Order: sequence, then C-alpha cells, then structure tokens
Amino acid sequence: MASSNKTRMERLEEAIIYSVLIAIVVVTVQPILNLLAISLSDPARVPGMSGMDIVPDGFSIDIWKLLASHPAVQRGLMNSIFITLVGAILNVTFTAMMAWALSRKKLPLRRTLFVLILATIVFEPGIIPDYFVMRRLGLIDSYASVIIYKLVNAWYLIILIRFFEEVPEELIEAATLDGANAFQVFWRVVLPLARPALATITLFYVVYHWNDFLRPMIYFNDQDMWPLQVVLRQFVVVGDKAAIVGLQAMNNYEGASQIDLRAFRAGMILFTILPVLAIYPFILRYFTKGTMSGALK
Amino acid sequence: MTKHDKAGAFSPKIGNVPNRARPRQADAYNSRGARLRDGVREWWPYYLMLAPGLIYFGLFHYLPIWEARLAFEDLRIIGPNVWVGTKHFAQLFASPTFFEVLKNTLIISAMKVAFVFPLPIILSLLLNEVRSGRFRRGVQSVIYLPHFLSWVVIAGIFIAALSPSNGVVNDLRDFVGLDRRSFMTDSGSIRWVLVWSEAWRSAGWDSLLYFAAIMAIDPALYEAAEMDGASRWQKMRHITLPGIVPTIATLFILHVGLFLNAGFDQVFNLSNDAIRDKIDIIDTYVYRLGITGGQFSLATAAGLFKGVIGMILMIGAHTLSKRLTGKGVW
Repeated sequence: MASSNKTRMERLEEAIIYSVLIAIVVVTVQPILNLLAISLSDPARVPGMSGMDIVPDGFSIDIWKLLASHPAVQRGLMNSIFITLVGAILNVTFTAMMAWALSRKKLPLRRTLFVLILATIVFEPGIIPDYFVMRRLGLIDSYASVIIYKLVNAWYLIILIRFFEEVPEELIEAATLDGANAFQVFWRVVLPLARPALATITLFYVVYHWNDFLRPMIYFNDQDMWPLQVVLRQFVVVGDKAAIVGLQAMNNYEGASQIDLRAFRAGMILFTILPVLAIYPFILRYFTKGTMSGALK
Repeated sequence: MTKHDKAGAFSPKIGNVPNRARPRQADAYNSRGARLRDGVREWWPYYLMLAPGLIYFGLFHYLPIWEARLAFEDLRIIGPNVWVGTKHFAQLFASPTFFEVLKNTLIISAMKVAFVFPLPIILSLLLNEVRSGRFRRGVQSVIYLPHFLSWVVIAGIFIAALSPSNGVVNDLRDFVGLDRRSFMTDSGSIRWVLVWSEAWRSAGWDSLLYFAAIMAIDPALYEAAEMDGASRWQKMRHITLPGIVPTIATLFILHVGLFLNAGFDQVFNLSNDAIRDKIDIIDTYVYRLGITGGQFSLATAAGLFKGVIGMILMIGAHTLSKRLTGKGVW
C-alpha cells in the first residue's frame, strides 16, 4: 500500500483528492468564521468588511455584551435551556423504559405494539390535527406542549430496542436468580450496559429540542416563552428591527445608536450555535463510531 | 430484524421468570384463565414501564388521526362541527395554488435527489482514499457539524453569505469580475439556494452512512486486487462501489419514500415574499392556510392528502427495499 515509488499519476490523484476535501472543509467553515470575525470586530469598521474576511477588523466584544444583556436573548436562553433539559430527561426516561419492555421477545402483544408504533412513522396526519390535540388537552401556551410533543421518537425507540435485544440473557438470568425484580434488572443491569446507546439518543434529543423552532412558534402565543431559535428567527429571518434594538436595550446600552445590525445578527447566530458546539465533541465520540450507523437518520 | 433474531437465540424464557421458579400444575396452566393470570403476573412490570409511552402514542399520534376528521367538517365555534364530506377536498383540487404547491414540492424533491443525493457517496469515496487517518478524521469532524444546526441558523448563515452587498459569494463573484446578484430574491436561483443549502447541511453527515459501509468491506478484497496490480480507480470501481451499492439502494428508496417532505424547516426559513411562489411546498402551504390563515379544514385536507400519498410512497419504498436488499426502511 505504502509503496515509496508512486507514479506521477498517483501523486496527481492524491493532490486532487486532498484539494477537493480541503475545499469542502473551507466551504463548510468559512461562512461561520466570517460571522465570528464580524461579531468580534470594532463595530465602526463592520460596514467595510467583506464576506471573505475571517479575521476581525479591530477587536471588540460590544456585540456579545449587548447580546448577553438583551432581555429577549436572556429569556430565550433560559427558555431553551429549560425546554431542552426537562425535555431530554423525560425523552430518555420514557424511551428507555418502553424500549426495554418491547425488546423482550416473549412480551405478549409485542408484535401488535410494534406495528402500531411503526404506523405512526408511516402515516402523519399533519400539523393542524397536532395543534387541535394540543388545544383539546389544554396544553397551548404551556411549556408541556413542546416538551411532550416528541416524548418518544419512534426512530430512536427502534435504535434502543435493537440495542437492548443484544443484552446477554445470561446477565439478566443471573440478576433474576439473585432475587432482582424486573425493575431492578432494568435499573442495575440493563441501563448501565446501555450507556453508549443512551448517550447517543440523549444527544439526539438534546439537539432536537435545542433546534426546534416550529412547535414553540405554533404553541406559544406569549413571546416571553420563546426559546432562542424563535428569537433568532425573529432577528435574522424575519428581520424585525424593532425587536433587535428594543427600547430597553437602547437605554441600557450607550453605543446602541451605532449598533451594526449585521454584526448583531452574526453574533446572535453564533450565540445560538455555541451550545451545539459545546456538545459536539460528545456527538463525534458517540455518533460516529459507526456501530449504529445503520439506524441513523 | 432478521439479523437480530439470530442473536436472540439465547433461551427465551429467562428474562421473564419471576423471582424463583414457581411450580406450575400442568392442568391449571392449560386453562385459558390461568394462563392469562400467569401472563399478567409475569409481565405486569413490563407493561407498567410501557404505559407512559403507550399513553403518549395514543394521545399524540392516534388522537391526531381522529382529529383529522376536521378535513371532512366545517369548523363551528359554538356547537359541534358540521359534516360536509369531501367539500374541502373538492375545493383543494379545484384551486390552482394547490397544484402549484404540489408541483413545487415535486420539483424541489427531484432536484435534491438529482443533485444532493450523489454528493455523500462521492464524499465517502474520497474520504476512503485518504491514507492519513488524522487528516481524514479532521475533515470528517468538520463536515458533520452543519447537520446539527437548526434551519433557522443555516438560513441566517446563507442569508449572510448570499448578501448582494457583502456576502462571501457575491464578494467572490465581484473579485472574478462577475456581477453581484441577489440570489435570495431571484426567482430563477432560489431553488438552487435550497439545493445548495441542503447539500451544505447534509452531504457531510450522510457520507458517514456510506463510509461505515465502506469500512465493512473485507480488506482481503483490496489486498488481492493490489497483488493483481489494480489501480486506485479500478479498486474504487470494482470493490468499493459494489460494496456500498446496497446502502445506496436503501437510502435512495428512503428518499423516494419521503419524496413529499421537500423540507418544511428549510423552505420556511429561506422563503420571502419575492420568491414565495417558486418554493412554496405542501407543508408550508398547510402552515400558511391553517396556522396563519385560520382555514383549518382546508389545511387539514391538504395535510391529509400529503399524509396518505406519503404513506403509500413509504410502504412502497419499504416493500421495494425489502425485495431488493432484504432490508426494510425500518
């Protein structure tokens, strides 16, 4: 494989492959680095910056200070953290319990339940019936609506069932003979064994809740309940300038008159990405081992 | 599931035996009632663990199907809704907007299958040719990232990058002497914005699936080919590519099964008044009709139409996949 006398052709091929991959990496990160550079530049110099720049022009963290003190951003951050944490904990708990029961091959009605759950993947009646169910249950304008909406994701449930099916029966048998009941077996034997799989679906659920913007938009009438994604959408996609430079922020921040909207948007986008970046190393560690690649997507 | 049935060859009785083996009387066990009682005693802990999840699926997946009858009703604020049969479907199929939206959905999905679908395959083949593990892992850890960003964020990034005055794309065009263009508001280019933003987001992550398939190819095949003096190109063509064909087939079929999901989150965040009629898809149409416009029955009818066609496509895809590759979609 590593023959030292490579032909010119081979070396050319190699150069092309490496260049193409490097180009893809550049295309992936350059737009993000550009936003970072803009958000960290001297606000006065931002208007002169090109989209190609990846180094800040001057240096200032004014935009980040403004973001951190902006009431809509602060509320959005707290809402996002709350929904994500509570949501992910409930998601994983109920998904794991359900998966464990359904992974028992002798469970009565197992096949029927399986088919009923798969049917929910195949047929989706749409967002309007979902909305009316939420309304009927009185969950509109409560955090519970977005937390419960995808309580058990059928795809992740299948991933976990597959994983639990591989748990060696001998271990369960041994624990049972030691006098452990079904709950103790689940808690003490199965869950510790399933740690990598649980970590994977936890991360999936965390990313799902963090990135969800549609359900909060539909289910929350009260803007104070908006998570960060909806606030970001208002700033960046809808372009609501009044919301960006709220009166309160104007009064609190001396340089508000010179706020560059482009820099503010750049900072806000990055602000929303930061938590994803923070857990990204874990994502790489658990998702990319390839062990579950067949079940991903 | 067949693969796992083999793994489940271990004695099936074990997980279910309560604390200690109970002596059973053969005649009592054979009676229906006793067997039921025995089953309940054996399985109630598992059903207790299932209960919250089953209630969830009932309330949030089956109740909506019942609520979807709204498509056949006129909504009344006071009193019960009035059954109107297929009135809303007739209205839907008589409206030119609906067919525009259906057409957009099919065009956008087709463009994505044609131009985005091959990218992760090519990407995984390229990654497989990289001999340096560090370089390869470095590239992979960067290109997976966009998959984990929300479409709000990606829309923000693309709006900035495509800005006519100071976005990187137009600055580059300017640099090489081309004119600046407003891609986000140009009806000729907005569908390509959807294609390229989809590629930016998912090509990297999807390459993982193919890469995993490549890793599973027997290395002995490559060694034998090398002994025969096969070139890089020949190995890729005759070993790697055939090795991932089943994965390609499965994912392609899945894409067809999801053909009507042209990307709500993406379109919703990248849309604007100038180009809406070019990229309005069924899902955004349902949203605008129902959530924004309050025409709940009509919106439900449109959603139901999509749900039923989607179901047919999905079941068809699953059956086809099972027949071709022995592996279903789920």
